[in-house]
Amino acid sequence: MNLFFLQNAVSASSAVNYLPIALQVLCAAGFVALTLGISPFLGPNRKTAEKLETYESGIHSVGNARQPVAIKYFLVAILFVLFDVEVIFFYPYAVNFRELGWNGFLAVLMFVGFFVCGFYYIIKKGALQWED
Amino acid sequence: MNAIILSAILGVILMFSGIFVTSKTAIRNIATAGMALLLLVNIAEQGGFHLFNVNTHNMLVFSKFGLLFNSIAFSATLLFFLVSAKDITNVGINAAEYFALIFFISCGIAIVSSFNSLLLLFLGIEIISIPLYILTGSDKRNLKSNEASLKYFLMGSFSTGIMLLGIALVYGAKASFSMEQMHSSINAGRNAWFYAGLLLVLISMLFKVSAAPFHFWTPDVYDGAPTVFTSFMATIVKAGVFIALVRLFDMSFVGSGYDWQLIIAIVTAATLFIGNITAIFQQSVKRMLAYSSIAQAGFMLFGVFSQNDFSREGIILYTLGYSLATIGIFAVLIKMKDYTFEGFNGLARTEPVLAATTTIFLLSLAGIPLTIGFFAKYFMLASAVKSGSHLWLVIFAILCAAISVYYYFRVIQSMYFKTGLAETEPVTPVFRWLLAGMAAAVIILGIFPNLVLQYLYF
Amino acid sequence: MPINLYIFVALALFCIGVIGVLTRRNAIIIFMCIELMLNAVNLLLVAFSKMHLAEMGSAAPALANNGTDAQLFVFFIMVVAAAEVTVGLAIIVMMYRNTHSVDVNFLNRLKN
Repeated sequence: MNLFFLQNAVSASSAVNYLPIALQVLCAAGFVALTLGISPFLGPNRKTAEKLETYESGIHSVGNARQPVAIKYFLVAILFVLFDVEVIFFYPYAVNFRELGWNGFLAVLMFVGFFVCGFYYIIKKGALQWED
Repeated sequence: MNAIILSAILGVILMFSGIFVTSKTAIRNIATAGMALLLLVNIAEQGGFHLFNVNTHNMLVFSKFGLLFNSIAFSATLLFFLVSAKDITNVGINAAEYFALIFFISCGIAIVSSFNSLLLLFLGIEIISIPLYILTGSDKRNLKSNEASLKYFLMGSFSTGIMLLGIALVYGAKASFSMEQMHSSINAGRNAWFYAGLLLVLISMLFKVSAAPFHFWTPDVYDGAPTVFTSFMATIVKAGVFIALVRLFDMSFVGSGYDWQLIIAIVTAATLFIGNITAIFQQSVKRMLAYSSIAQAGFMLFGVFSQNDFSREGIILYTLGYSLATIGIFAVLIKMKDYTFEGFNGLARTEPVLAATTTIFLLSLAGIPLTIGFFAKYFMLASAVKSGSHLWLVIFAILCAAISVYYYFRVIQSMYFKTGLAETEPVTPVFRWLLAGMAAAVIILGIFPNLVLQYLYF
Repeated sequence: MPINLYIFVALALFCIGVIGVLTRRNAIIIFMCIELMLNAVNLLLVAFSKMHLAEMGSAAPALANNGTDAQLFVFFIMVVAAAEVTVGLAIIVMMYRNTHSVDVNFLNRLKN
């Protein structure tokens, strides 16, 4: 019975550890299959042209989804990727910031300083301006 | 440590001067002064003066060899700025950013010349490569430049992936990224991981220095990139990666009981052969110089092959001689209107100083005595003789050096013995004097190589 | 689970990436395959890190950072990969603006 409690399984070391995850996956898939499979039989079923139309959040779809996006969006997306990933370095610091003390804090401050330099640079270069 | 931190800060300063300074002359002056400052600070560190005291946890180790190499790389960059700064600002609209990227590359070079951990090797190589992808494609409207940059980027990041797999396998075997742990005893079943990993790292490094059979990207990229940046890429950057390769070998393969010398011997022979033979058939001087840089990389591989005092002296001299000569030739080439051999016809009559200095640089590249190129090649070959194995390689290298004389002399022949009107851009007297100074340095160091080598020992 | 399985998965992913780079002709797909290679290496590093932790964590806790340095290496790979994505996509977009194609078969202007 211990098998179903994750904290007990951690100490052991074999493929049995993954049984709870497998059970979870089975339950999730089973629930989805069950609800989707059973719903057509439970409710009344009237197909009209209006109902079969494609729509998104109640709004009629307009045009093709695969159309080019403005290149400005590309620049913002790329800058997002850059600044987003840099944040990863805060994680090791956050895990043991007590042990690192003031020296660690100064190091992180320097890192953020370089970071802000880059941010200031892209603002000054006009990379975030939407209107021409 | 001085050079690493200062070059990063200077890079940021140059980035911001692109916003706040509008005059291109001012940007040039800031960049040149910054590079001179970087050189001074590095020389001060050679004398034992440290600006910053950072605990690197033994991830970086600053040896005399690495610091001397830094000084040579920075002085070559300073010369490069002095002779071609105007051409750098003329490549595109973002003049300051080009200089900033070059400073970041200098930071990468300073890291790989002192790494003591595979993590720092990886970071240094990437800090060198990523700005280079941008510099290669900096001529945005030129299709050739675009193509070269895309090609370089795809191949470069592919080889980065291979290097990372190698590092991961080495880590799996040794449980550490530190170079000092490379000789620690390991679980016998994991020796295969260790050797496979080191070979993958070696392959990716050979790719970065464009050694055969991983050279195929070099001619295309060097040809497509703006000529000023080709000059920088072919000299300083290539020498920087070579230093990383030499240090990596020194600390990992040597003494591992693996017959790595045979691999390097075969790679060296292939590089020399392919570089020299293909260079003969080129019609454009720029493309010929690209192949010649592959051939010169073959000679620099001797520094990896032998791993003794001679080879360390040799690679320092080679870096210096090859950078001086190639930067000089490219500086002249940028001024030419026509990059083919015919474009050089009759240059001796229209621009005698340019023709004479180009001749000296070409003689140095070919390894004619009384130039620094001769001693560089001599030290390399002597180191291989001293290491005692694979003597056929030395004979093969001498034959290849003889072949190289043919295509270098073809340029001299068209400058002096063919009639024509070589057209050049207008050239300033300062430019002529600088070239003459570089040519004088090539000859003086060719007579007294100890002027540089003494710094290796005290 | 034995370490071999992790190594097999990582190497399989890496090989899929390599084959993709060598056979596909679309610059963006080649680029995605390169990212796949890098992430395969990340998986391998984390697996090795856990392996070394299990082997020597209990024996000598102070030794060799208990394998956490590999996990830090993964962070560095991620950040470098992000920088490469930025530069690479910018190059591909620049190329697309000039040629209206991202097919690498068009890259033959320099072969002459």
